[in-house]
Amino acid sequence: MKEFAGKTGQSTFFILAGVARLWNLGAAVAGYTLSSFFKKKVIPKEALFRQMVLIGIDSTAIVSLVGASVGTVLALQAAYSLKTFGALMYTGSLVCVAMARELGPLIASIVISGRIGARMAAEIGTMMVQEEVDALTTMGINPIRYLVVPRVLALALMLPCLTVIVDIVGMVGGWAIGTTGLGINSTLYIAKSIEALCLKDIYTGLLKSFIFSILIALVSCHQGLSVSGGADAVGKATTQAVVISIVLIIVVDCLATAVIYYALPT
Amino acid sequence: MSESEQHVIEVKDLVKRFGDLTVLNGINVKIPRGKITVIMGGSGCGKTTLLRHLIALHQPTSGAILVDGTNIVGLNEKDMNAVRRKFGMLFQGSALFNSMTVGENVAVPLKEHTDLSPEIIRIIVRVKLELVGLTGFEDFMPHQISGGMKKRVALARAIALDPKIVFYDEPGAGLDPITASMIDRLILDLSKKLNITSVVVSHEMKSAFRIADQIIILHKGKVLQIGTAEEVKNSKDSYVQQFIQGESEGVIPFKQTSEAYLKGLLST
Repeated sequence: MKEFAGKTGQSTFFILAGVARLWNLGAAVAGYTLSSFFKKKVIPKEALFRQMVLIGIDSTAIVSLVGASVGTVLALQAAYSLKTFGALMYTGSLVCVAMARELGPLIASIVISGRIGARMAAEIGTMMVQEEVDALTTMGINPIRYLVVPRVLALALMLPCLTVIVDIVGMVGGWAIGTTGLGINSTLYIAKSIEALCLKDIYTGLLKSFIFSILIALVSCHQGLSVSGGADAVGKATTQAVVISIVLIIVVDCLATAVIYYALPT
Repeated sequence: MSESEQHVIEVKDLVKRFGDLTVLNGINVKIPRGKITVIMGGSGCGKTTLLRHLIALHQPTSGAILVDGTNIVGLNEKDMNAVRRKFGMLFQGSALFNSMTVGENVAVPLKEHTDLSPEIIRIIVRVKLELVGLTGFEDFMPHQISGGMKKRVALARAIALDPKIVFYDEPGAGLDPITASMIDRLILDLSKKLNITSVVVSHEMKSAFRIADQIIILHKGKVLQIGTAEEVKNSKDSYVQQFIQGESEGVIPFKQTSEAYLKGLLST
Protein backbone atom coordinates (compact mmCIF):
# COMPACT_ATOMS: atom_id res chain seq x y z
CA MET A 1 0.00 0.00 0.00
CA LYS A 2 2.79 2.32 1.05
CA GLU A 3 4.68 1.49 -2.12
CA PHE A 4 1.58 2.11 -4.23
CA ALA A 5 1.01 5.49 -2.57
CA GLY A 6 4.66 6.37 -3.09
CA LYS A 7 4.54 5.46 -6.77
CA THR A 8 1.30 7.36 -7.32
CA GLY A 9 2.78 10.40 -5.61
CA GLN A 10 5.93 10.16 -7.69
CA SER A 11 4.01 9.82 -10.97
CA THR A 12 1.76 12.76 -10.05
CA PHE A 13 4.84 14.81 -9.26
CA PHE A 14 6.44 13.94 -12.61
CA ILE A 15 3.25 14.79 -14.51
CA LEU A 16 2.86 18.13 -12.70
CA ALA A 17 6.54 18.96 -13.19
CA GLY A 18 6.15 18.16 -16.89
CA VAL A 19 3.08 20.39 -17.15
CA ALA A 20 4.99 23.19 -15.40
CA ARG A 21 7.93 22.87 -17.81
CA LEU A 22 5.60 22.86 -20.82
CA TRP A 23 3.87 25.93 -19.42
CA ASN A 24 7.22 27.72 -19.00
CA LEU A 25 8.23 26.83 -22.55
CA GLY A 26 4.85 28.06 -23.84
CA ALA A 27 5.21 31.30 -21.88
CA ALA A 28 8.70 31.88 -23.29
CA VAL A 29 7.45 31.26 -26.85
CA ALA A 30 4.50 33.61 -26.30
CA GLY A 31 6.87 36.24 -24.90
CA TYR A 32 9.15 36.09 -27.95
CA THR A 33 6.18 36.10 -30.33
CA LEU A 34 4.77 39.22 -28.69
CA SER A 35 8.12 40.99 -28.62
CA SER A 36 8.57 40.25 -32.36
CA PHE A 37 5.90 42.89 -33.01
CA PHE A 38 8.12 45.56 -31.46
CA LYS A 39 11.63 44.33 -32.17
CA LYS A 40 13.40 43.23 -35.31
CA LYS A 41 15.10 39.87 -35.70
CA VAL A 42 13.30 38.06 -32.90
CA ILE A 43 11.96 35.28 -35.12
CA PRO A 44 14.42 33.72 -37.57
CA LYS A 45 12.35 34.11 -40.73
CA GLU A 46 14.26 31.65 -42.90
CA ALA A 47 13.70 28.89 -40.34
CA LEU A 48 10.03 29.85 -40.06
CA PHE A 49 9.44 29.56 -43.82
CA ARG A 50 11.45 26.35 -44.07
CA GLN A 51 9.27 24.81 -41.35
CA MET A 52 6.08 26.11 -42.98
CA VAL A 53 6.97 24.44 -46.27
CA LEU A 54 7.89 21.23 -44.48
CA ILE A 55 4.70 21.13 -42.45
CA GLY A 56 2.25 22.61 -44.93
CA ILE A 57 3.19 21.72 -48.47
CA ASP A 58 5.07 18.49 -47.85
CA SER A 59 2.31 17.05 -45.65
CA THR A 60 -0.64 17.90 -47.92
CA ALA A 61 -0.61 14.62 -49.85
CA ILE A 62 -0.54 12.27 -46.87
CA VAL A 63 -3.09 14.32 -44.93
CA SER A 64 -5.43 14.38 -47.97
CA LEU A 65 -5.15 10.62 -48.46
CA VAL A 66 -6.04 9.91 -44.84
CA GLY A 67 -8.83 12.53 -44.91
CA ALA A 68 -10.43 11.04 -48.04
CA SER A 69 -10.30 7.54 -46.60
CA VAL A 70 -11.91 8.63 -43.35
CA GLY A 71 -14.68 10.50 -45.21
CA THR A 72 -15.41 7.44 -47.32
CA VAL A 73 -15.48 5.02 -44.39
CA LEU A 74 -17.66 7.41 -42.41
CA ALA A 75 -20.22 7.57 -45.24
CA LEU A 76 -20.29 3.77 -45.57
CA GLN A 77 -20.71 3.17 -41.84
CA ALA A 78 -23.28 5.94 -41.39
CA ALA A 79 -25.34 4.67 -44.32
CA TYR A 80 -25.50 1.21 -42.76
CA SER A 81 -27.20 2.53 -39.60
CA LEU A 82 -29.23 5.30 -41.22
CA LYS A 83 -30.77 2.88 -43.73
CA THR A 84 -32.58 1.05 -40.92
CA PHE A 85 -34.40 4.29 -40.06
CA GLY A 86 -35.01 5.11 -43.71
CA ALA A 87 -32.81 8.18 -43.32
CA LEU A 88 -30.18 7.36 -45.93
CA MET A 89 -30.33 10.87 -47.39
CA TYR A 90 -28.93 12.29 -44.15
CA THR A 91 -25.59 10.56 -44.77
CA GLY A 92 -24.20 13.78 -46.26
CA SER A 93 -25.21 15.86 -43.26
CA LEU A 94 -23.59 13.41 -40.88
CA VAL A 95 -20.32 13.19 -42.83
CA CYS A 96 -19.99 16.96 -43.22
CA VAL A 97 -20.74 17.83 -39.60
CA ALA A 98 -18.52 15.05 -38.26
CA MET A 99 -15.63 16.07 -40.52
CA ALA A 100 -15.84 19.77 -39.73
CA ARG A 101 -16.37 19.45 -35.99
CA GLU A 102 -14.27 16.46 -35.01
CA LEU A 103 -12.57 14.29 -37.55
CA GLY A 104 -10.92 17.00 -39.65
CA PRO A 105 -8.95 18.58 -36.78
CA LEU A 106 -8.35 15.23 -35.09
CA ILE A 107 -7.08 13.39 -38.18
CA ALA A 108 -4.89 16.30 -39.32
CA SER A 109 -3.40 16.67 -35.82
CA ILE A 110 -2.69 12.99 -35.32
CA VAL A 111 -1.06 12.59 -38.74
CA ILE A 112 1.01 15.72 -38.15
CA SER A 113 2.07 14.71 -34.65
CA GLY A 114 3.44 11.49 -36.16
CA ARG A 115 5.03 13.19 -39.13
CA ILE A 116 6.18 16.54 -37.78
CA GLY A 117 6.17 16.14 -33.98
CA ALA A 118 8.47 13.12 -34.18
CA ARG A 119 10.72 14.99 -36.56
CA MET A 120 10.94 18.04 -34.30
CA ALA A 121 11.81 15.94 -31.23
CA ALA A 122 14.42 13.90 -33.11
CA GLU A 123 15.97 16.95 -34.77
CA ILE A 124 16.27 19.04 -31.61
CA GLY A 125 17.27 15.95 -29.60
CA THR A 126 20.13 15.21 -31.98
CA MET A 127 21.18 18.86 -31.83
CA MET A 128 21.31 18.52 -28.02
CA VAL A 129 23.48 15.41 -28.25
CA GLN A 130 25.86 16.98 -30.77
CA GLU A 131 26.28 20.11 -28.61
CA GLU A 132 24.65 22.27 -31.31
CA VAL A 133 22.24 23.73 -28.75
CA ASP A 134 25.17 24.53 -26.44
CA ALA A 135 26.89 26.15 -29.42
CA LEU A 136 23.85 28.39 -29.90
CA THR A 137 23.89 29.33 -26.22
CA THR A 138 27.60 30.21 -26.27
CA MET A 139 26.96 32.37 -29.33
CA GLY A 140 24.49 34.32 -27.20
CA ILE A 141 21.52 32.96 -29.20
CA ASN A 142 18.64 31.70 -27.09
CA PRO A 143 17.76 28.16 -28.30
CA ILE A 144 14.06 28.65 -27.50
CA ARG A 145 13.90 31.76 -29.67
CA TYR A 146 15.99 30.26 -32.45
CA LEU A 147 14.66 26.70 -32.56
CA VAL A 148 11.31 26.46 -30.77
CA VAL A 149 9.57 29.72 -31.75
CA PRO A 150 9.72 29.16 -35.56
CA ARG A 151 8.50 25.58 -35.16
CA VAL A 152 5.56 26.51 -32.92
CA LEU A 153 4.52 29.41 -35.16
CA ALA A 154 4.88 27.40 -38.38
CA LEU A 155 2.71 24.61 -37.01
CA ALA A 156 0.15 27.04 -35.56
CA LEU A 157 -0.20 28.64 -39.00
CA MET A 158 -0.19 25.47 -41.07
CA LEU A 159 -2.26 22.98 -39.06
CA PRO A 160 -5.55 24.93 -39.44
CA CYS A 161 -4.86 25.09 -43.20
CA LEU A 162 -4.29 21.33 -43.33
CA THR A 163 -7.50 20.88 -41.33
CA VAL A 164 -9.44 22.77 -44.00
CA ILE A 165 -7.95 20.43 -46.61
CA VAL A 166 -8.89 17.33 -44.59
CA ASP A 167 -12.42 18.70 -44.08
CA ILE A 168 -12.94 19.29 -47.79
CA VAL A 169 -11.31 16.08 -48.99
CA GLY A 170 -13.24 14.04 -46.41
CA MET A 171 -16.54 15.61 -47.48
CA VAL A 172 -15.75 14.96 -51.13
CA GLY A 173 -14.88 11.36 -50.24
CA GLY A 174 -18.24 10.97 -48.49
CA TRP A 175 -20.04 12.54 -51.44
CA ALA A 176 -18.29 10.24 -53.91
CA ILE A 177 -19.30 7.09 -52.07
CA GLY A 178 -22.77 8.46 -51.25
CA THR A 179 -23.67 9.27 -54.86
CA THR A 180 -22.06 6.23 -56.47
CA GLY A 181 -22.04 3.36 -53.99
CA LEU A 182 -25.12 4.27 -51.94
CA GLY A 183 -27.12 5.70 -54.82
CA ILE A 184 -28.11 9.00 -53.16
CA ASN A 185 -29.02 11.80 -55.56
CA SER A 186 -26.08 14.18 -55.85
CA THR A 187 -28.11 17.41 -55.57
CA LEU A 188 -29.99 16.06 -52.55
CA TYR A 189 -26.72 14.98 -50.90
CA ILE A 190 -25.19 18.44 -51.32
CA ALA A 191 -28.37 20.26 -50.27
CA LYS A 192 -28.69 18.18 -47.08
CA SER A 193 -25.00 18.72 -46.30
CA ILE A 194 -25.21 22.51 -46.64
CA GLU A 195 -28.43 22.57 -44.61
CA ALA A 196 -26.79 20.68 -41.72
CA LEU A 197 -23.48 22.51 -41.70
CA CYS A 198 -23.28 25.82 -39.86
CA LEU A 199 -20.40 28.28 -39.54
CA LYS A 200 -19.81 27.39 -35.88
CA ASP A 201 -18.97 23.79 -36.88
CA ILE A 202 -16.17 25.05 -39.09
CA TYR A 203 -14.60 27.69 -36.87
CA THR A 204 -14.70 25.59 -33.72
CA GLY A 205 -12.94 22.85 -35.69
CA LEU A 206 -10.28 25.32 -36.78
CA LEU A 207 -9.93 26.68 -33.25
CA LYS A 208 -9.36 23.14 -32.00
CA SER A 209 -6.72 22.44 -34.62
CA PHE A 210 -4.96 25.67 -33.60
CA ILE A 211 -4.88 24.52 -29.97
CA PHE A 212 -3.65 21.06 -31.03
CA SER A 213 -0.88 22.60 -33.12
CA ILE A 214 0.48 24.49 -30.12
CA LEU A 215 0.30 21.32 -28.03
CA ILE A 216 2.13 19.18 -30.62
CA ALA A 217 4.88 21.74 -31.21
CA LEU A 218 5.48 22.51 -27.53
CA VAL A 219 5.46 18.85 -26.44
CA SER A 220 7.77 17.79 -29.30
CA CYS A 221 10.25 20.63 -28.86
CA HIS A 222 10.23 20.13 -25.10
CA GLN A 223 10.97 16.42 -25.53
CA GLY A 224 13.79 17.30 -27.92
CA LEU A 225 15.29 19.84 -25.52
CA SER A 226 15.19 17.37 -22.61
CA VAL A 227 17.44 14.87 -24.40
CA SER A 228 20.71 14.12 -22.66
CA GLY A 229 22.91 11.20 -23.56
CA GLY A 230 22.93 9.55 -26.94
CA ALA A 231 20.92 7.81 -29.63
CA ASP A 232 18.85 5.95 -27.07
CA ALA A 233 17.65 9.20 -25.48
CA VAL A 234 16.76 10.63 -28.91
CA GLY A 235 14.70 7.54 -29.71
CA LYS A 236 12.90 7.76 -26.40
CA ALA A 237 12.18 11.46 -26.80
CA THR A 238 10.79 10.90 -30.29
CA THR A 239 8.40 8.16 -29.14
CA GLN A 240 7.39 10.19 -26.09
CA ALA A 241 6.73 13.24 -28.24
CA VAL A 242 4.24 11.36 -30.43
CA VAL A 243 2.56 9.46 -27.59
CA ILE A 244 2.19 12.47 -25.30
CA SER A 245 0.98 14.66 -28.19
CA ILE A 246 -1.72 12.18 -29.24
CA VAL A 247 -2.92 11.58 -25.67
CA LEU A 248 -3.05 15.33 -25.01
CA ILE A 249 -4.85 15.98 -28.31
CA ILE A 250 -7.60 13.52 -27.42
CA VAL A 251 -7.96 14.70 -23.81
CA VAL A 252 -8.03 18.36 -24.83
CA ASP A 253 -10.48 17.50 -27.62
CA CYS A 254 -12.90 16.04 -25.04
CA LEU A 255 -12.60 19.15 -22.88
CA ALA A 256 -12.90 21.55 -25.82
CA THR A 257 -15.97 19.78 -27.20
CA ALA A 258 -17.63 19.80 -23.78
CA VAL A 259 -16.91 23.49 -23.32
CA ILE A 260 -17.83 24.61 -26.85
CA TYR A 261 -21.05 22.61 -27.28
CA TYR A 262 -22.34 22.28 -23.72
CA ALA A 263 -20.91 24.94 -21.42
CA LEU A 264 -21.02 27.93 -23.78
CA PRO A 265 -24.37 29.41 -24.88
CA THR A 266 -25.31 28.31 -28.40
CA MET B 1 49.40 46.86 -15.47
CA SER B 2 46.47 46.21 -13.14
CA GLU B 3 45.25 42.75 -12.22
CA SER B 4 42.21 42.74 -14.51
CA GLU B 5 44.27 44.08 -17.41
CA GLN B 6 46.76 41.26 -17.05
CA HIS B 7 44.26 38.50 -16.54
CA VAL B 8 41.16 38.24 -18.68
CA ILE B 9 39.56 35.48 -16.61
CA GLU B 10 39.91 34.82 -12.91
CA VAL B 11 38.39 31.79 -11.23
CA LYS B 12 38.00 31.99 -7.46
CA ASP B 13 37.30 29.01 -5.20
CA LEU B 14 35.13 27.30 -7.78
CA VAL B 15 33.22 24.30 -6.42
CA LYS B 16 30.82 22.15 -8.42
CA ARG B 17 28.88 19.23 -7.04
CA PHE B 18 26.53 16.96 -8.96
CA GLY B 19 24.54 15.39 -6.11
CA ASP B 20 27.12 13.78 -3.83
CA LEU B 21 29.85 13.87 -6.44
CA THR B 22 32.29 16.77 -6.17
CA VAL B 23 33.69 17.40 -9.65
CA LEU B 24 35.48 20.68 -8.99
CA ASN B 25 36.83 21.22 -5.51
CA GLY B 26 38.06 24.76 -4.95
CA ILE B 27 39.64 25.79 -8.25
CA ASN B 28 41.70 29.01 -8.33
CA VAL B 29 43.19 29.97 -11.69
CA LYS B 30 44.00 33.08 -13.68
CA ILE B 31 44.01 33.18 -17.46
CA PRO B 32 46.56 35.70 -18.80
CA ARG B 33 45.42 38.07 -21.56
CA GLY B 34 46.59 37.36 -25.11
CA LYS B 35 48.23 34.08 -24.14
CA ILE B 36 47.44 30.41 -24.74
CA THR B 37 46.45 28.51 -21.61
CA VAL B 38 46.09 24.74 -21.78
CA ILE B 39 43.99 22.96 -19.15
CA MET B 40 45.13 19.36 -18.83
CA GLY B 41 44.32 16.30 -16.83
CA GLY B 42 43.17 12.72 -17.12
CA SER B 43 39.68 11.74 -18.18
CA GLY B 44 37.11 12.68 -15.57
CA CYS B 45 39.36 15.16 -13.74
CA GLY B 46 36.89 17.98 -14.34
CA LYS B 47 38.60 19.88 -17.15
CA THR B 48 35.60 19.96 -19.50
CA THR B 49 33.36 20.83 -16.53
CA LEU B 50 35.67 23.75 -15.72
CA LEU B 51 35.50 24.92 -19.34
CA ARG B 52 31.70 24.71 -19.33
CA HIS B 53 31.71 26.90 -16.22
CA LEU B 54 33.88 29.49 -17.93
CA ILE B 55 31.33 29.86 -20.73
CA ALA B 56 28.43 29.72 -18.26
CA LEU B 57 26.90 26.50 -19.58
CA HIS B 58 27.06 25.28 -15.98
CA GLN B 59 26.42 27.26 -12.81
CA PRO B 60 28.84 26.49 -9.95
CA THR B 61 27.78 25.32 -6.49
CA SER B 62 29.94 28.10 -5.06
CA GLY B 63 32.76 30.41 -6.09
CA ALA B 64 33.20 33.20 -8.60
CA ILE B 65 34.33 33.58 -12.22
CA LEU B 66 35.45 37.05 -13.25
CA VAL B 67 35.60 37.87 -16.95
CA ASP B 68 37.18 41.30 -17.43
CA GLY B 69 36.28 42.01 -13.82
CA THR B 70 32.59 41.03 -14.18
CA ASN B 71 31.41 38.09 -12.09
CA ILE B 72 29.47 35.86 -14.50
CA VAL B 73 28.05 33.57 -11.81
CA GLY B 74 24.31 34.12 -11.55
CA LEU B 75 24.28 36.78 -14.25
CA ASN B 76 20.93 37.21 -16.03
CA GLU B 77 20.59 36.11 -19.65
CA LYS B 78 20.82 39.57 -21.17
CA ASP B 79 24.01 40.55 -19.32
CA MET B 80 25.47 37.10 -19.88
CA ASN B 81 24.88 37.39 -23.63
CA ALA B 82 26.80 40.68 -23.58
CA VAL B 83 29.73 38.82 -21.95
CA ARG B 84 29.35 35.94 -24.44
CA ARG B 85 29.94 38.37 -27.29
CA LYS B 86 33.59 38.34 -26.15
CA PHE B 87 33.70 34.53 -26.45
CA GLY B 88 34.16 32.05 -29.23
CA MET B 89 33.92 28.36 -28.55
CA LEU B 90 35.15 25.36 -30.50
CA PHE B 91 33.30 22.25 -29.34
CA GLN B 92 34.84 18.80 -29.27
CA GLY B 93 32.47 17.47 -31.93
CA SER B 94 32.54 20.78 -33.89
CA ALA B 95 28.77 21.26 -33.25
CA LEU B 96 28.12 22.58 -36.75
CA PHE B 97 24.45 22.96 -37.66
CA ASN B 98 23.87 20.00 -39.95
CA SER B 99 20.95 21.52 -41.83
CA MET B 100 23.04 24.51 -42.97
CA THR B 101 25.92 24.86 -45.40
CA VAL B 102 29.44 25.70 -44.20
CA GLY B 103 28.93 29.35 -45.20
CA GLU B 104 25.56 29.59 -43.43
CA ASN B 105 27.10 28.09 -40.30
CA VAL B 106 29.78 30.76 -40.16
CA ALA B 107 27.16 33.43 -40.91
CA VAL B 108 24.84 32.51 -37.99
CA PRO B 109 26.46 34.75 -35.33
CA LEU B 110 26.86 37.57 -37.88
CA LYS B 111 23.20 37.44 -38.91
CA GLU B 112 21.98 37.24 -35.32
CA HIS B 113 24.18 39.86 -33.71
CA THR B 114 24.86 42.46 -36.39
CA ASP B 115 22.83 44.53 -38.84
CA LEU B 116 25.22 43.91 -41.72
CA SER B 117 23.84 43.42 -45.22
CA PRO B 118 23.91 39.89 -46.72
CA GLU B 119 26.67 40.95 -49.15
CA ILE B 120 28.96 42.14 -46.36
CA ILE B 121 28.21 38.99 -44.35
CA ARG B 122 29.17 36.89 -47.39
CA ILE B 123 32.50 38.71 -47.60
CA ILE B 124 33.22 38.29 -43.87
CA VAL B 125 32.36 34.59 -44.11
CA ARG B 126 34.83 34.22 -46.99
CA VAL B 127 37.54 36.04 -45.02
CA LYS B 128 36.99 33.87 -41.93
CA LEU B 129 37.07 30.68 -43.98
CA GLU B 130 40.28 31.88 -45.61
CA LEU B 131 41.82 32.39 -42.16
CA VAL B 132 41.29 28.70 -41.43
CA GLY B 133 42.38 27.64 -44.92
CA LEU B 134 39.00 26.68 -46.34
CA THR B 135 38.46 29.12 -49.19
CA GLY B 136 35.74 27.99 -51.57
CA PHE B 137 33.99 25.59 -49.21
CA GLU B 138 31.01 27.88 -48.47
CA ASP B 139 28.43 25.75 -50.24
CA PHE B 140 29.43 22.37 -48.83
CA MET B 141 27.22 20.69 -46.26
CA PRO B 142 28.91 19.61 -42.97
CA HIS B 143 28.46 15.91 -43.80
CA GLN B 144 30.39 16.37 -47.05
CA ILE B 145 33.63 17.46 -45.38
CA SER B 146 36.15 15.64 -43.16
CA GLY B 147 36.42 15.81 -39.37
CA GLY B 148 39.44 18.12 -39.49
CA MET B 149 37.69 20.46 -41.92
CA LYS B 150 34.62 20.52 -39.68
CA LYS B 151 36.83 21.62 -36.78
CA ARG B 152 38.22 24.42 -38.92
CA VAL B 153 34.73 25.53 -40.00
CA ALA B 154 33.71 25.53 -36.35
CA LEU B 155 36.77 27.65 -35.61
CA ALA B 156 35.83 30.08 -38.39
CA ARG B 157 32.35 30.32 -36.83
CA ALA B 158 33.86 30.83 -33.36
CA ILE B 159 35.95 33.79 -34.58
CA ALA B 160 33.19 35.25 -36.79
CA LEU B 161 32.49 38.11 -34.37
CA ASP B 162 36.18 38.75 -33.60
CA PRO B 163 36.06 37.49 -30.02
CA LYS B 164 38.69 38.38 -27.42
CA ILE B 165 38.74 34.88 -25.96
CA VAL B 166 38.43 31.56 -27.79
CA PHE B 167 37.80 28.31 -25.91
CA TYR B 168 38.78 24.99 -27.45
CA ASP B 169 37.43 21.71 -26.12
CA GLU B 170 39.82 18.92 -27.13
CA PRO B 171 40.70 20.46 -30.50
CA GLY B 172 42.84 17.51 -31.57
CA ALA B 173 40.51 14.72 -30.43
CA GLY B 174 39.65 12.20 -33.12
CA LEU B 175 42.03 13.70 -35.69
CA ASP B 176 45.14 12.22 -37.27
CA PRO B 177 48.47 13.64 -35.95
CA ILE B 178 49.05 15.82 -39.03
CA THR B 179 45.59 17.41 -38.95
CA ALA B 180 45.85 17.80 -35.18
CA SER B 181 49.14 19.66 -35.52
CA MET B 182 47.56 21.81 -38.23
CA ILE B 183 44.84 22.78 -35.78
CA ASP B 184 47.57 23.62 -33.25
CA ARG B 185 49.22 25.86 -35.85
CA LEU B 186 45.90 27.58 -36.38
CA ILE B 187 45.47 28.17 -32.66
CA LEU B 188 48.97 29.69 -32.50
CA ASP B 189 48.39 31.78 -35.63
CA LEU B 190 45.06 33.16 -34.47
CA SER B 191 46.43 33.90 -31.05
CA LYS B 192 49.34 35.87 -32.47
CA LYS B 193 47.66 37.50 -35.48
CA LEU B 194 44.42 38.52 -33.81
CA ASN B 195 45.79 38.80 -30.26
CA ILE B 196 43.20 36.37 -29.00
CA THR B 197 43.34 34.81 -25.54
CA SER B 198 43.04 31.05 -25.99
CA VAL B 199 41.89 28.51 -23.43
CA VAL B 200 42.47 24.96 -24.63
CA VAL B 201 41.23 21.84 -22.88
CA SER B 202 43.31 18.88 -23.92
CA HIS B 203 44.96 15.72 -22.72
CA GLU B 204 47.54 15.53 -25.47
CA MET B 205 50.95 16.41 -24.06
CA LYS B 206 52.69 16.97 -27.38
CA SER B 207 50.15 19.49 -28.54
CA ALA B 208 50.13 21.22 -25.15
CA PHE B 209 53.91 21.66 -25.10
CA ARG B 210 53.77 22.97 -28.66
CA ILE B 211 51.26 25.74 -28.04
CA ALA B 212 50.97 26.55 -24.35
CA ASP B 213 52.19 29.72 -22.67
CA GLN B 214 50.66 28.42 -19.46
CA ILE B 215 49.63 24.89 -18.49
CA ILE B 216 47.14 24.08 -15.76
CA ILE B 217 47.03 20.47 -14.61
CA LEU B 218 43.89 19.30 -12.86
CA HIS B 219 43.59 16.15 -10.83
CA LYS B 220 40.51 14.95 -8.97
CA GLY B 221 38.83 18.34 -9.19
CA LYS B 222 41.81 20.31 -7.88
CA VAL B 223 44.60 22.29 -9.48
CA LEU B 224 47.73 20.17 -9.25
CA GLN B 225 50.11 22.50 -11.01
CA ILE B 226 50.20 25.79 -12.89
CA GLY B 227 53.22 26.80 -14.89
CA THR B 228 54.93 27.13 -18.24
CA ALA B 229 55.57 24.07 -20.41
CA GLU B 230 59.16 23.95 -19.12
CA GLU B 231 58.07 24.07 -15.47
CA VAL B 232 55.60 21.25 -16.02
CA LYS B 233 58.19 19.11 -17.80
CA ASN B 234 60.56 19.52 -14.85
CA SER B 235 57.88 18.94 -12.25
CA LYS B 236 58.79 16.70 -9.35
CA ASP B 237 55.18 15.62 -8.85
CA SER B 238 54.88 11.92 -9.57
CA TYR B 239 51.36 12.18 -11.03
CA VAL B 240 52.47 14.94 -13.41
CA GLN B 241 55.41 12.81 -14.50
CA GLN B 242 53.22 9.76 -15.04
CA PHE B 243 50.86 11.92 -17.07
CA ILE B 244 53.63 13.40 -19.22
CA GLN B 245 55.25 10.05 -19.88
CA GLY B 246 51.86 8.45 -20.52
CA GLU B 247 52.69 5.38 -18.46
CA SER B 248 50.01 2.97 -17.34
CA GLU B 249 51.80 2.15 -14.10
CA GLY B 250 52.68 4.80 -11.53
CA VAL B 251 50.89 6.72 -8.80
CA ILE B 252 47.69 5.73 -10.54
CA PRO B 253 48.00 1.98 -10.87
CA PHE B 254 46.62 0.05 -13.84
CA LYS B 255 45.76 -2.88 -11.62
CA GLN B 256 44.71 -2.55 -8.02
CA THR B 257 45.96 -4.82 -5.28
CA SER B 258 43.28 -6.91 -3.60
CA GLU B 259 43.63 -4.86 -0.38
CA ALA B 260 43.18 -1.56 -2.26
CA TYR B 261 40.16 -2.96 -4.12
CA LEU B 262 38.57 -4.13 -0.87
CA LYS B 263 39.28 -0.79 0.77
CA GLY B 264 37.67 1.03 -2.16
CA LEU B 265 34.62 -1.20 -2.02
CA LEU B 266 34.14 -0.73 1.70
CA SER B 267 34.64 3.01 1.64
CA THR B 268 31.78 3.63 -0.84
